Amino acid sequence: MTVTIEATAFAADRVKVKRRRRRIRGSSIAILVFLTMCAAFVSVPLYVVIVTSFKTMDQIAQGQIFSLPTEWTLEPWRYAWSQTCAGMTCKGVSAGFWTSLKILFPSLLLSIGVSSVTGYALALWKINWAGTFLFILFLCAFVPFQIIMIPLVVLVSSLGIFGTVWAVALVHAILSMPLLTLIFRNFYKDIPDEIIKAAIMDCGSFWKIFLEIILPMSANIMIVVLILMITSVWNDYLIGLTFGGVGTQPMTVILANTVITSFGEVRYNVNMAAALLTAIPPLVVYFGLGKFFVEGITAGAIKG
Amino acid sequence: MAIRWSWASPRIALIPALTTTAVAFLGAILWTIWISFTRSRRFPEYTIDLSSWSRQYERLFNDSSWTTALGNILVLAIGNALAILFGFILAAMIEREKRGEGFFRTIFLYPLALSLIVTGIAWRWIFNPDLGVQNFLRGLGWESANFNWLADTRTAMYGIILASIWHGLGFYMALMLAGLKSINSEIWSAARLDGVSLWKLYTEIIIPMMKFTFLTCAILLSLGVVKTYDIVLAMTNGGPGTSTWTPAYFVVNSFGARGNIGYASAAAVIMLLMTAALFLPLMLVTAWQARRREGRTL
Repeated sequence: MTVTIEATAFAADRVKVKRRRRRIRGSSIAILVFLTMCAAFVSVPLYVVIVTSFKTMDQIAQGQIFSLPTEWTLEPWRYAWSQTCAGMTCKGVSAGFWTSLKILFPSLLLSIGVSSVTGYALALWKINWAGTFLFILFLCAFVPFQIIMIPLVVLVSSLGIFGTVWAVALVHAILSMPLLTLIFRNFYKDIPDEIIKAAIMDCGSFWKIFLEIILPMSANIMIVVLILMITSVWNDYLIGLTFGGVGTQPMTVILANTVITSFGEVRYNVNMAAALLTAIPPLVVYFGLGKFFVEGITAGAIKG
Repeated sequence: MAIRWSWASPRIALIPALTTTAVAFLGAILWTIWISFTRSRRFPEYTIDLSSWSRQYERLFNDSSWTTALGNILVLAIGNALAILFGFILAAMIEREKRGEGFFRTIFLYPLALSLIVTGIAWRWIFNPDLGVQNFLRGLGWESANFNWLADTRTAMYGIILASIWHGLGFYMALMLAGLKSINSEIWSAARLDGVSLWKLYTEIIIPMMKFTFLTCAILLSLGVVKTYDIVLAMTNGGPGTSTWTPAYFVVNSFGARGNIGYASAAAVIMLLMTAALFLPLMLVTAWQARRREGRTL
């Protein structure tokens, strides 16, 4: 076993040495050029949206979609934030921004609280039916939302919170619970035995072990889960549309209403600014914590 | 290592999760299935008329917008498969040429952080016939350029596919990159020593080795396609006509705009069946991979 490891390490070292010596060859340049072109293609929509949001409507009417603004203006951003109309109300997308925040925090607390405790209990405590339960959670994680949407409307109405931010937050927490539990459980089950043994000797109680030993060890997985939740809650549309009432609709719903159901003269620069305002929070999370973001989506996708 | 110290506490701690699973998932699914056999309209009715229990389903499959929706997810699945293909090509290039890996990964993956509504709105603007890319191309002298895909029932789906590929490309690239990195580095040097051509190396060695990654990607993609809703809403709102409806759009529309719970439930049950049909292979793949991984560590 160790021999193979050493052999592989040695081989890897040799490859590394070779790579270092190698100069840039033609094929490398071709690959880099191709990748750069693809990167440019992927960046074009964002570029177009950004430049459009800073143009005046006069310039947009000339039809040069790729050109830079001749005259940079912040007016569309200001208008999109505080004045643009979504359906009948004209308060800009800022209302949606605050609603989205109000939805985000309770749903984060609720889902992470419940899932981390559940994942911990299932991973480290002796429960006979843990395997069955995990399997059911695995199935639930893939259930399309539309199938449980209508009964959840009935359920949330009977709780008397339909149309409030609490309803939206609760539904987010419910929907994310299976996946997050699986992620937490997979993380906690790899905690070394010695730590657990020491923990039992030390204090022993279920909650004490969780709060004093497990939780402080969970920083990495917490960041991954936080990113996963922030982006999915912020980017959600359908839950906000179905469970949010008038005045409690999240930003994506306000944005969609602004752009899709707008009538009269269309102000494309305002639309693009509104779209960017909605996109900024997840983009900040993405560019700020990119490494964890990748972990989050791959964990969300397959490890389940 | 499982702790036996306390019996009650962990069970109490599991109550919220158990309740959620039982009520909001299993209960809700059964509720939807039950309602799909009733005559419920705006409000749920719980009596099943046994003589015509399948009336919602009969109506459903005679509804032309439902058949359009079914056809559309097939088109979407085939079109989006390109994202897996391009994702693999990009991942292979990034993996081969280590330079700039972080940079390219960041660029290819950023669309995934955007909401599908924002994605749809951005692409809608690009497809704008008067001021968008079509106008730009015509300005360059290509008078017959037609990029107004979203306004034509025949091409609207392709517009949606283009936007979904743009959104999902980085995701498949990231999965493929992870798959490529797990391949033993000795294979690369062995292939180089044997003088295997690059084409042969990928088609005959690497791709067969990554068949599970491809399968996982394909299944995840199909599961995502069944749920397609946001992007359709943002780009075409189902139009022109009903040409870009998807089953998910159909369910929401039957529930919201038409206010017909029974009908929406029947459509949702079909979605559940499709998901289940796709899910079975995913489980087999996961089980298989887990066995292989265990086999390797032993």
